[in-house]
Amino acid sequence: MRNPWGWIALTGFSLLFFAFIYAPLLVIIGYSFNANPVNMMIWEGFTLDWYAGLFGLSDRATGVGNRAAYIESTDQMLAALRTSLTVAVFTTTISTVIGTATAIALARYRFRGRGFYNGFLMLPMMMPDIVLGIGLLIFFVTLGMQLSLVTIIIGHCTFLTSYVFIIVQARIAGLDPALEEASADLGASEWTTLRKVLLPQLAPGIMGGALLAFVISMDDLVITYFISGVGDTTLPVFIFGMIRRGVKPEINAIATLIILASVIIAALGLWLRSRKTD
Amino acid sequence: MAPLLEIRAARRDFATPEGGKICALDGVDLDVDANEFVTLLGPSGCGKTTLLRAISGFEMLDSGTIRLGGTDLTGLPPFRRPVNTVFQSYALFGHMTVARNVGYALEVAGVAKAQREAEVAETLEKVGLGGMGARKPGQLSGGQRQRVALARAIIAKPRLLLLDEPLSALDRNLRQQMQIELKSLQHRLGIAFIFVTHDQEEALTMSDRIVVMRAGGIQQIGTPRDIYRHPRNRFVAEFIGETNLFSVTVDRVEGGTALTRTAEGVQVLLPADGRKTGERLTAILRPADFTIAAQGILGTVARAVYLGPDLHLSVTPDCGGPDISVIVRDGLGVGEGTRLHLAHDPARVHVLEGG
Repeated sequence: MRNPWGWIALTGFSLLFFAFIYAPLLVIIGYSFNANPVNMMIWEGFTLDWYAGLFGLSDRATGVGNRAAYIESTDQMLAALRTSLTVAVFTTTISTVIGTATAIALARYRFRGRGFYNGFLMLPMMMPDIVLGIGLLIFFVTLGMQLSLVTIIIGHCTFLTSYVFIIVQARIAGLDPALEEASADLGASEWTTLRKVLLPQLAPGIMGGALLAFVISMDDLVITYFISGVGDTTLPVFIFGMIRRGVKPEINAIATLIILASVIIAALGLWLRSRKTD
Repeated sequence: MAPLLEIRAARRDFATPEGGKICALDGVDLDVDANEFVTLLGPSGCGKTTLLRAISGFEMLDSGTIRLGGTDLTGLPPFRRPVNTVFQSYALFGHMTVARNVGYALEVAGVAKAQREAEVAETLEKVGLGGMGARKPGQLSGGQRQRVALARAIIAKPRLLLLDEPLSALDRNLRQQMQIELKSLQHRLGIAFIFVTHDQEEALTMSDRIVVMRAGGIQQIGTPRDIYRHPRNRFVAEFIGETNLFSVTVDRVEGGTALTRTAEGVQVLLPADGRKTGERLTAILRPADFTIAAQGILGTVARAVYLGPDLHLSVTPDCGGPDISVIVRDGLGVGEGTRLHLAHDPARVHVLEGG
């Protein structure tokens, strides 16, 4: 406490910094409780209708008394959310398995082209989304594939595998190779060693990678925009399309729920990472 | 009776990044008997760890054979070899309890849970960790982890236990205590230990036999006393304990004694043993072989270090040549700058042929 002004300035700066990051989120949370169905900038009183509408408990948004006319129905929005979740679950599973297997292979085995693989796995992360999106679109069209849920999942896996790979690789680099040797020395085959020693030791990294993949997949707009079929709209694409005409108030409710889920997932991730394994 | 472990002409080369080759094992032959405590001793890079890893199966030999109890192990992967290892880093599984770590070999072998638990408890008892089974390795001290690693390696009752510098991470007191415990554990278990270390004191304390290695080859195999008193060459003499080496020429032979001199004129007495005048030899004397006497090598104390019961002196001979290292008891009144004569018993001198 030598200089109280320094301390005050630092605190003020920190508060401003957090306000800058979190204010937009707080605004959305606030709007999600605003009863005004047309202009969310004008406060018309507190309501839980938009949340109730999401779960089919209130029809105010589509009811007779609704002053606003939205083309999109709540059902369509929920369908988009379901599509997003489906894509995220499949993408996370596939990219976690491939990313983890690749990280183990590159860290533990010597083979031709090892350095090449290492470098090229980073590339999809560095590439601008728009380039990747166009590339995937041309690729799918050239192969004659119908744009669908499958193309979205394949597209997401191409870059999310890299994210999982990098996180698991960091974990495996810090692992004592003698652990696997000890397991083999005590009579365990490679498969048993993988199951009983290597995977449990890598678990925090694998979980962290999977959570990250899930969040990025849920969130992706640019790439998905290029490769999603007509009937398979993800939530980000759906919201983006809505912006031009006006945002349904239910969007704020759904955004608030997603923020809540993200906070829970992030907390889970931090907890997993801090858990001691040695 | 055939030895437990027979290693014949073991050879292993490593490629260097520059494209050259390093010979880690240069045609090594070694026999280890059942129930024997053998130490592989040498400076880093001498091949001792490679030899140990060749026995456990983590290094494959380029040529040569390794047989255990008559069975050829040479091509077998580590998990098919009936030997177990205590690793330098202990390599305990952090996500498992101490009990599960110790019982791992039995778990993998498919031993029933009840029997496994009984054997784990018994083995933990053996290494002095009774009741610690429920803890995680992260909650143990360094010495306790060491014991868990030991328990884990002996639970499957291997005929041969390999130990890769297992005590190097412990502090001095704990290390000395563990040396004694390891030795007594080996006696009680009745299995052979091969112990790798670069600490010659550790090797002398624990071993039935010591294998001194250098640059991929074995320099000498013998009991600690043999290695210390009768080193086969300069390298062994200098690596094991403190040594005074004198390159001498025989002056003359009188009765049972040969009088020899170094180039500088330091006089060393040897047993005659049919030596001839003009013969060139290397005389080896340990620091404790010298006594302060009324006559002998005249010199000045350059450095005196007090070691409790002993006094460790560095004496510069008047006639020149390297300082002589001496350990005396009751060095009362001796300090830096003291002038004294050093005498020795000719029978204590170990002689290597050639200067």
